Amino acid sequence: MADGGGWRPPRPCEAYRAEWKLCRSARHFLHHYYVHGERPACEQWRRDLASCREWEERRSAEAQRSLCESERARVQATRKHALVWALRQSPPADWHLPLPQEEKDQ
Amino acid sequence: MKHSGCAVNKERHFSCEDCNGNVSGGFDASTSQIVLCQNNIRNQSHMNRVVTHELIHAFDHCRAHVNWFTDLRHLACSEVRAANLSGDCSLVNEIFRLHFGLKQHHQTCVRDRAILSILAVRNISKEVAQKAVDEVFESCFNDHEPFGRIPHNKTYARYAHRDFQNRDRYYANI
Repeated sequence: MADGGGWRPPRPCEAYRAEWKLCRSARHFLHHYYVHGERPACEQWRRDLASCREWEERRSAEAQRSLCESERARVQATRKHALVWALRQSPPADWHLPLPQEEKDQ
Repeated sequence: MKHSGCAVNKERHFSCEDCNGNVSGGFDASTSQIVLCQNNIRNQSHMNRVVTHELIHAFDHCRAHVNWFTDLRHLACSEVRAANLSGDCSLVNEIFRLHFGLKQHHQTCVRDRAILSILAVRNISKEVAQKAVDEVFESCFNDHEPFGRIPHNKTYARYAHRDFQNRDRYYANI
């Protein structure tokens, strides 16, 4: 993680506010309950919004630390499960090739 | 898709055809082409969902070594992801199918539709298909690439796109 010089919150503060607002909406409650069978947890978005604003206003080191920790935890959560397949280093070689001639002729 | 090196060209990567049965579409990995069944796609909403579903297969083909024809687990994984992320299993769509359920019903739908999709393209028993889905479900249900979340509607899709556009700033500052 970069030090205070040149660092800024990973998302604009408005993005944290929008995520918190979406998380707390009735519609999201319904979606989340339908998918996960429990109510959504929105408190972390609120904390991140507060940290973001604190950074914007006071360049607080604690706010920076808290935001980084929170976002890293989000990234880690997405990497919790091992992938079923191996990722490619480059896209399939034949993606852009023309279709086989016999299909074109049909 | 473009960011992954597989820019999509409508003329090259899509084909509208008449299909047997009630299949809505498919992804042909051998030709890198999405097939849309013009005789079975009912309306614009259905079309949007089918295109999204098949693009998820195309995206998986682009970013990973998916052994479509030789590894049932790979096929199962992509079908779980497509059912999960395309809107196939939205509450409204399930109600239209007369499948009523709320608490965690989305996951039941994803499992069931993934199994149906596998059975549509593989001559195997339902039990074998179900076993493959069960084995990969935990990993593949929670793989929300490229969205980072399940895009339930346009708002979620917009937020996902915003995060994608912000990715450089994001990873540089965590």
